[in-house]
Amino acid sequence: MKTWLCQQCGWIYDETKGDPLGGIPPGTRWADVPDSWTCPDCGSGKSDFEMVEI
Amino acid sequence: MNVTLKIRDFDDPTFDPFTVFDDSFGRHVDSPYPELAELGKQARVHPHEYRTLFGLAPDVTTADMPHFTVLGYELVQQIYSHPQIYSNKIFERMLGPGFGRTVTTMDAPEHTRYRRLFQQAFMPNVIARWGDGIVQPVADELVGSFMARGSADLVKEFTSLYPFHIIYRQLGLPPDDRQIFHKLAVALTVAGTNVEKAMEASAKLGAYYGALTEMRYERPGDDLVSLLTKIEVEGERLPKEILISFLRQLINAAGDTTYRATSNLLVALLTHPEQLDAVRRDRSLIPQAIDETLRWECIVMTGFRMALQDTELDGVRIPAGSAVEAVNGSANRDASRYSDPGRFDIFRKATSRHMAFAYGAHVCIGQHLARLEMTRALNSMLDRLPNLRLDPDMPPPRIFGCTMRHPEHIYVKFDA
Repeated sequence: MKTWLCQQCGWIYDETKGDPLGGIPPGTRWADVPDSWTCPDCGSGKSDFEMVEI
Repeated sequence: MNVTLKIRDFDDPTFDPFTVFDDSFGRHVDSPYPELAELGKQARVHPHEYRTLFGLAPDVTTADMPHFTVLGYELVQQIYSHPQIYSNKIFERMLGPGFGRTVTTMDAPEHTRYRRLFQQAFMPNVIARWGDGIVQPVADELVGSFMARGSADLVKEFTSLYPFHIIYRQLGLPPDDRQIFHKLAVALTVAGTNVEKAMEASAKLGAYYGALTEMRYERPGDDLVSLLTKIEVEGERLPKEILISFLRQLINAAGDTTYRATSNLLVALLTHPEQLDAVRRDRSLIPQAIDETLRWECIVMTGFRMALQDTELDGVRIPAGSAVEAVNGSANRDASRYSDPGRFDIFRKATSRHMAFAYGAHVCIGQHLARLEMTRALNSMLDRLPNLRLDPDMPPPRIFGCTMRHPEHIYVKFDA
């Protein structure tokens, strides 16, 4: 399980937690998050995220 | 270069911007929520300036603009989601005279470039390092100053000092001059009523931060200014003018908001002792206690935008050049999103992200630091103030205000 960091606002996508309010269940791998998904805080797309160690 | 910088006070050092500032957010308003709920039943878009709905004088910087107050989660989110229509350029007139060209006053693509650079200094993994080095020592010092006494006013002795002391240390400001920095910083925000004083404060802070920035370019340290001078994304660095404007804004942005948010967190838990006990026993509940507080008692009640084109919102025509106020507090208490929205409940099932930090491109840049500071503050108190509770012999805390909300006192007792 990995974490991805939004470079525009710092919101973290944690694969273990997913984004349930955004329709992404816990355990969803980053690769399986649809390209139409946007950052729940700033609205940026997946391309604005980078993988990080937290 | 070995130079000692000195901040210059107002030419009239007796000028008191704090009273002007405190009076400007509606001290007489206990709660705006009943009024907002009533207005929401009539319509979601009202052709009025928000502050005038509560009897406050209009903001002079936007006096020539048509005003619209917008209620409810869906419309607030719609405004924040469409920056190409609802622009931040309104802040050029509201904040520009004091702060200068900050990211708050910009739209994309300029905003996107600079925001990305500034955000690097406020990423969760960066601010985590400040937690041990700066935030925790400040929390420990403040709690230590009253923990032997068995009673305290947590606003006067903790929350009103805490985030300011943190930002002073992050910037490396001289301890003896901190009161002058705070006074000048607060004066920047009263441009709506006293633009001369705002501009005087802006010039004096600008001269200081300009010289400080030069020193950090030449001899970087481990402070926030040094970090900001070094940040680079795709070969681009922050221009000095933009960096100085950001520093002007920082004391307000990092201090005035977190001071109130931490106060409201303490009020929320102390007035719901069963939830305080739950948090005391299980600290993993702190993040949801913070988010429920931010939803329940939002600090910054509205977000301003300017319509760049003629548009329509919920059937109401909005002319280009209008001031549009998205009422974050109304979104956070929208009954269609949150059941029994006026109830504080840290165990509430998450149904919608709250709007306390706004949403979209201009979502609060310092929200991760704010959460860290609130977490450390609460942990320090729960660890070092056993049996922390409201003082039954003193007035209970009262959260007030219509544009910003916080209590003036939180009188507590604990086992010393």
